[in-house]
Amino acid sequence: MTAWDDDGPILEIENLSISFFTRAGEIPAVMDFSCTVRPGEAMGLVGESGCGKSTVALGVMQDLGVNGRIVSGSIRFKGRDLNEMSADELRRIRGREIAMIYQEPMASLNPAMRVGRQLMEVPMIHEGVSEKEARARALEVVADVKLPDPERILRSYPHQLSGGQQQRIVIAMALMAHPSLLILDEPTTALDVTVEAAVVELVKDLGKKYGTSMLFISHNLGLILETCDRICVMYSGEAVETGSIWDVFDRMRHPYTQALFRSIPLPGADKNARPLVAVPGNFPLPHERPPGCNFGPRCDYFVDGRCDGQEIPMVPVAGDDRHESRCVRVDEIDWDAPPEAGARHAATEPGDVVLRMDDLKKYYEVAANSLFGGGESKVIKANESISFEARESETLAIVGESGCGKSTFAKVLLGLETATDGEITLDNRSIGDVPIGRRDTKTVSDVQMVFQNPFDTLNPSMTVGRQIVRALEIFGVGETEAGRRARMLELLDLVKLPREFADRMPRQLSGGQKQRVGIARAFAGGARIVVADEPVSALDVSVQAAVTDLLMELQRTENTTLLFISHDLSIVRYLADRVAVMYLGHIVETGTTEQIFAPPYHPYTEALLSAVPVADTRVQKKSVVLEGDVPSAMDPPPGCPFQTRCRWKHKVPGNRCETELPPYRDLSDGHRSLCWLDDAELAAMEPVIRTAAE
Amino acid sequence: MEPLSWGEIVLRILGLLTPVWIGLVATIALSIAFKRRLGLYGKLFDSPIGMVGFGLVMFWVFTAIFGAMDLIVTHDALSQSASMKNEPPGTPYSKLIGDPDPDAYPFYLLGGDNLGRDVFSRVVDGAWIVIQIAPLATLFAFMVGITLGLPAAYYGGRLDTFLSFLANLILAFPVILLFYLLVTPEIVATGIPSYMAAVMFVFPILFATVLLNSRYHTRPSVRTPVLAAVIAVLGWLYLSLISERAGALEVLPSWLDLFDIPGGILVVFVSVVFVNSPTVFRIVRGIAMDIKTRDYVAAAQTRGEGAWYIMLWEILPNARGPLIVDFCLRVGYTTILLGTLGFFGLGLPPESPDWGSTINEGRKLLSIYLHPALPPALALLSLVLGLNLLADGLREESLRD
Repeated sequence: MTAWDDDGPILEIENLSISFFTRAGEIPAVMDFSCTVRPGEAMGLVGESGCGKSTVALGVMQDLGVNGRIVSGSIRFKGRDLNEMSADELRRIRGREIAMIYQEPMASLNPAMRVGRQLMEVPMIHEGVSEKEARARALEVVADVKLPDPERILRSYPHQLSGGQQQRIVIAMALMAHPSLLILDEPTTALDVTVEAAVVELVKDLGKKYGTSMLFISHNLGLILETCDRICVMYSGEAVETGSIWDVFDRMRHPYTQALFRSIPLPGADKNARPLVAVPGNFPLPHERPPGCNFGPRCDYFVDGRCDGQEIPMVPVAGDDRHESRCVRVDEIDWDAPPEAGARHAATEPGDVVLRMDDLKKYYEVAANSLFGGGESKVIKANESISFEARESETLAIVGESGCGKSTFAKVLLGLETATDGEITLDNRSIGDVPIGRRDTKTVSDVQMVFQNPFDTLNPSMTVGRQIVRALEIFGVGETEAGRRARMLELLDLVKLPREFADRMPRQLSGGQKQRVGIARAFAGGARIVVADEPVSALDVSVQAAVTDLLMELQRTENTTLLFISHDLSIVRYLADRVAVMYLGHIVETGTTEQIFAPPYHPYTEALLSAVPVADTRVQKKSVVLEGDVPSAMDPPPGCPFQTRCRWKHKVPGNRCETELPPYRDLSDGHRSLCWLDDAELAAMEPVIRTAAE
Repeated sequence: MEPLSWGEIVLRILGLLTPVWIGLVATIALSIAFKRRLGLYGKLFDSPIGMVGFGLVMFWVFTAIFGAMDLIVTHDALSQSASMKNEPPGTPYSKLIGDPDPDAYPFYLLGGDNLGRDVFSRVVDGAWIVIQIAPLATLFAFMVGITLGLPAAYYGGRLDTFLSFLANLILAFPVILLFYLLVTPEIVATGIPSYMAAVMFVFPILFATVLLNSRYHTRPSVRTPVLAAVIAVLGWLYLSLISERAGALEVLPSWLDLFDIPGGILVVFVSVVFVNSPTVFRIVRGIAMDIKTRDYVAAAQTRGEGAWYIMLWEILPNARGPLIVDFCLRVGYTTILLGTLGFFGLGLPPESPDWGSTINEGRKLLSIYLHPALPPALALLSLVLGLNLLADGLREESLRD
């Protein structure tokens, strides 16, 4: 065993191949993967779901389960091969030298144990320190992850903490043993954007403070840009490009990386003038990988005979530091050529107002005792004074984090709940207090919804065609069964799915295809208002653009009003005409997309804009990190809903923010904001996102 | 004639069961040949445990069916022979008075019981009783549990509170006491079991009607004839079932009454359904509460589907995995319950060859003669074991992929 010298890499993976062995045979999950993490370096591992990035992390932890096995290659940690270590040696390394942070914080904490106990266990087991010392160290680390009142946190159970606090505890636990390598597997995916921004900030600071090397796994290029020094892009089990963040982001040398960047909405993309370029085709399944280059069938630069001829090795990119690409044509392709201009569209003109909400309120009463109805009942104010208008063929985005009331508002609009107060008018008919059972078929088919989770949106035990035909039946489309079937096939054409899919079961479809079926079902009755609840957030990056594109196209042909609910401001900026920002049941700001994305902002919008990671090295963001969590809707703060986290509060004289609800002021030309700040303060606001000159 | 040796007994039994072996081999071979096209049932043949369970269960199903068709049984299960009392397995058949029928099978393969009846034939006939009642009673319990569990979960609130309380009440009642009460002649005379049967057997009709109506209500031209036909057939069956010529309920004139269920069997049936349905109710309620939060249920709501369509066509089909597994387990419990009832002599006539009664009779002389009690006990054990293994296999396979 060679001694590890301090300058060598912490983690050195060489030609790693991992396979899972199932009844169907060997399924290669990772092939010929190499990467190096040096001390203090943060390595980002990016790829779509199923590309093998989590498998690499599990391989490093030597925790592949009963089916998984490392077929070839080596993983050297501080110069020692992890593959050759005994279970005993591995146990000493895991948790102490290599720590891992998983996606779901709640699943990583023992719900039956106090947080303090769980933290203290780490040094007590690994270093055998005394209980007292362990407790002191736990207190210190909890303070390090910026949790308020560490003593109280140590005494609480995991369920008493919010999601963001739980993830901080998981990070604290990983840091308890001062590991040399920290593996983070999508650590912020389950969190809200503003909480995510705070956690990312924390991880970055701690990495510097403790000098820990990091392997950061994510599907979000923006996050990787903010946290990592180097990046490795994976596709279908292989690393396709690796290099420093700046090389890969600005001088990408692999078609997949390029396609990926072209399919995400960066500032400057526009749905009419500069539409996104979707990656054609689908991600290959592990047992259906093409010969040669895995990306070949979807690649614009594919050359018959060369790209599918032989195994493609990683080749260094000339002139860059440790920048490699798995492309045979790396030296031939003109990488700086602008993308082929996609189909441009004239901007659609919004028509008449079809939907108007006026002072909509939705309260829920929660009885303290549901069986006998006694005790005090509490009121949850899910929606408070929601007012807006939506015009025909307009895209109105509703932006906010979880718990802001955007889903409740959709439920009221669809008639699943009735409004407590206020009016919803659809074409001059009031529908706010009409539950769905009493709405006529026309109204029901006019207002439809596209759901967030593609794996949940279709009934798993009914064929795709049957589900669309059922919608047609209910909406009274078509006279005969044959007529409806014909219409269903047309709908499949409309969402660009092959007609054979009519007889398939949902489990045979990919996420993007399921979402298309969901869209076809929503448009079955000629919907005029479609509520899309984060329709692409659960999809892979390369599929998102295609589904977004489809929605836009349908909107253009059907003149649909799209209510696009999202927390992702990049996509909102790309496709929305107007935006409404919600916080704790209130609409805090509305306006056109330009008005929302330029100062003056509402303080919450400002924080939201700053929190969204942008995968563009030219963009400079002002960092606005929100402290704390969203208050409970059961117990909202008095005065302005945002006052507990607002960084502008001190600019307002007196304590008006804490006592009085601000007026919903018209700033200019339909741009309205719920804020006490006066015009002078608003005018002095600086833009959050600044793009360096090209 | 010499008594048979153990080897000969085994060979003869295996020979007698030839139709069962043919049936088993044919079923398994066909299933394996087409297993990729048979869904969950086909996947069962990928799991060794599931296959063993399936084999055991099908063994008893075929034994029961062929037994009832008189292909296996060697002697009449009720006829006695004074010279065969407590004779050990393999004893040649003889009669104390007169000569035995020359066509009769020459041996009591598993010996005779305390009344000189053939143990082997009684075990085979006992299987038929179990195979008839257990799955059917469980099916009825599922109908009741599903029809009440789905609305409890879907609507929640007071309805849920009330139904769950009712289920807990029934579950808290001592089962054996309940059975004793139900078979007491005085209680039977008041007609309570018949009225309970009348209520419980309505559920399948309700279930089928709601199922079809919610599905086809948008197409009245299909809905009306289908519903009319289904209600007519099921209604007739229902009325025949509950109407008894001499019982508490006489609804149909005898020329319309298709069949009469012996009073004892009806009581057993009612009790088994009554005690099983609250548990099924709770399982269905639990699964439905989970599925209710899925987006496809919300999608159905947003297109204005009725509550029953959502419950029966969006929620129920997706609850089928756990329900099928529970069905297998529950048939096993019901089999044990039937054994218990027979053991206590409840419901079924005392000379009935069902396994529970046979075990109870054999028990009395257990320290001297083992052979009358052991075969029915092993039969009960292997059938329930088979059902449990089958449920395990199904669960394992449905959780994969």
